[in-house]
Amino acid sequence: MRLPRWMLSRWFIVPATLAAVVLGWNLHVAANATGEVRGRVVDATGRPVAGATVLLFERSFVVNTEKQRVVTDAAGAFRFQGNASHAVQLQADAPAGKSERVTLRLLFRAQDADLPAPLVIAR
Amino acid sequence: MRRGFPWARHAVLIVVSAIMLLPFYWVFKTAITNENIYAFPPRLLPQDPHPYNFVDVWYLIPFPRYLLNSVIVSVMAVIGNVVLNAMAAYALTQNFRAKKLVVLLLLSCMLIPFQATIIPAYLITARIGLLNTYLGLALPLLSTIVCIFIYKAAFEAVPRSLVEAARMDGLSEWRIIAHVLLPLSRPAIATNVILAFIWSWNSFMWPLIVTRDANMQTLPLGLARFLSYMEDTTGALYAFVCMVLAPGILVFLMAQSAFIRGLTHGATKG
Amino acid sequence: MTPSGSPAHLARRAGTGTGWWGRKRTRQAALILCFLLPSLAIFLLYRVIPLGWNAILSFQSWSPMRPPRWVGFEHYEEMLFYDDIFWTALWNTLIWIGAAPVAIILALGIALLVNSDLKGASVYRTIVFLSYPLMTVAVGIIWRWMYDERGGFINWALRIAGIIDRPLGFLQSFDLAMASVIVTDIWQVIGFYMIILLTGLQQIPQHLYEAARVDGVPRHAVFLYVTLPMLRPSLFLCAVIGLLNSFTSFDLVYVMTNGGPGHATELLITYIYKLGFGQTKFDYAAAVTVVQFLLLLALTFLANRLAGGNAGAVEKD
Repeated sequence: MRLPRWMLSRWFIVPATLAAVVLGWNLHVAANATGEVRGRVVDATGRPVAGATVLLFERSFVVNTEKQRVVTDAAGAFRFQGNASHAVQLQADAPAGKSERVTLRLLFRAQDADLPAPLVIAR
Repeated sequence: MRRGFPWARHAVLIVVSAIMLLPFYWVFKTAITNENIYAFPPRLLPQDPHPYNFVDVWYLIPFPRYLLNSVIVSVMAVIGNVVLNAMAAYALTQNFRAKKLVVLLLLSCMLIPFQATIIPAYLITARIGLLNTYLGLALPLLSTIVCIFIYKAAFEAVPRSLVEAARMDGLSEWRIIAHVLLPLSRPAIATNVILAFIWSWNSFMWPLIVTRDANMQTLPLGLARFLSYMEDTTGALYAFVCMVLAPGILVFLMAQSAFIRGLTHGATKG
Repeated sequence: MTPSGSPAHLARRAGTGTGWWGRKRTRQAALILCFLLPSLAIFLLYRVIPLGWNAILSFQSWSPMRPPRWVGFEHYEEMLFYDDIFWTALWNTLIWIGAAPVAIILALGIALLVNSDLKGASVYRTIVFLSYPLMTVAVGIIWRWMYDERGGFINWALRIAGIIDRPLGFLQSFDLAMASVIVTDIWQVIGFYMIILLTGLQQIPQHLYEAARVDGVPRHAVFLYVTLPMLRPSLFLCAVIGLLNSFTSFDLVYVMTNGGPGHATELLITYIYKLGFGQTKFDYAAAVTVVQFLLLLALTFLANRLAGGNAGAVEKD
């Protein structure tokens, strides 16, 4: 089968490729934008910390505003729902101390994400 | 005719090309890294490249809004130029009494740079209530004298007999333009589209004066505004620059020959 | 009213044909008018009327809140005799124009290198031209970054090369700011000059070169006596574009230095903008605009004269 000539012109191929990429990207975004942020909290020796409060901040160029806080479960895991931002900061607050603020940057708003390294409560 | 030293010539040209391309690389490098951009010495290669600066620009600056405004204004300008200039050029190929006068008027208008009339142009736009509107942004760009003459030359190159034959067949003037002249003047149309696109896409001073509202700002204005807020402190500025330049570079690389022809044509005629 | 019965009218009609033809002609005229009207209206609104209004405004004392009052040459007097910034801006504009020949010479060099059977010439051509159609605001920001004291490439390269031992704030320095902005401008427009000169070079008939070769004319003489004279129209076209460019370089200066430091990079056009839209002195800004416009006209005329009258901004159709 031969393609019609206009389909081989770069004025068709380039816009069509771009449109396909944009469409694919939007489908990907739609499928993965539930706004879940998951992670774990551990102490300095690497043991999970239960009952630590984790704070979620939304980041912009100049300010970070606190949006949510949750408490870790027995395995030290936490899970935020309904995150609407594309760049957040997380910080754990346990009786033993606080962790550093960790910035998590996402590729689009409300992307599902796992924190790559657990939050470590410092002594 | 000039032979010998091809290597020397290549060497010189490679240096020139490097000078031309280096600023693009430097900005791109800064845009895709998260390093402290003020670290000294600056790194030549990007450190842990990532796309998050682009994400920041998309969400934290109303980039989609700027893009939309720019596209609306450019589309208006392109359509305006293609249609209005064709009409005016067609009129100029006809014989009528005041033709000499009109041509003279156009030629002398060409000597008036738009920048030289910026203050009354602003006052007029304010008086007709078009400040801060898309029409107000696009109106001065809707028709261009250079492009009228480009069209005119193309129309005059169409054999007269063809036009006469069409007229004998009872085609209306509109149809003669649309079905006889325009299909035979495709390079002129391309030139019109390209010139109107770059002029409106890059136009900065006029939107700066006419828009009052952040919602009406076009990309160049958004860029200048972002610069004035953040100064040179963030890699996001350079991501913004890359995003603004990308469409222009893409269109240029795709339509290079038409681009160059259009611009030189535009220059020699105006 | 029976004009169609009058002998004169009949005679006129006889000249143009039948009654039907006459009607057709009026229709044709109306159509031409309709076709011309939109474009003419735009030019009238944004070129002709502003020019006239600008001239009137420059002789008035006016602000949006007050009724106008004629003040004669008061603004011009103030500008020419008391306004140092105006003179700085004028001088800077002339420097900007004066830099055009440098760019043209560089572009000529590149054009000569590219214009031959060199392999990959079109790639070089594309690369050199690439910067021209891009958004000037973005170009300004790119070069701000290139000039930056710590993150910029230029300071880094100069320090590596041992030319300077402390970073230079190119755009913050009174001595270097103007030159730095001009370098950026040259970087952006050089590709355009190159293309124009290339077009000119390709229009030189080959047989001239062949004749020169047969006669054994040395290469530099060929360049001086064949290439350059044949290239004169293109060169002057470049000069005129450089001239216009100095009046449209608002974007670059606005983004890179905004006329600073002090008024070291103030051009007439940025000064007009500041006067009009920063200080709402529309009347005074109009007077500066008149001077700028007259300067432009005079220089364009001069360039046209030098080019033999055939290569100005206006090419007669």
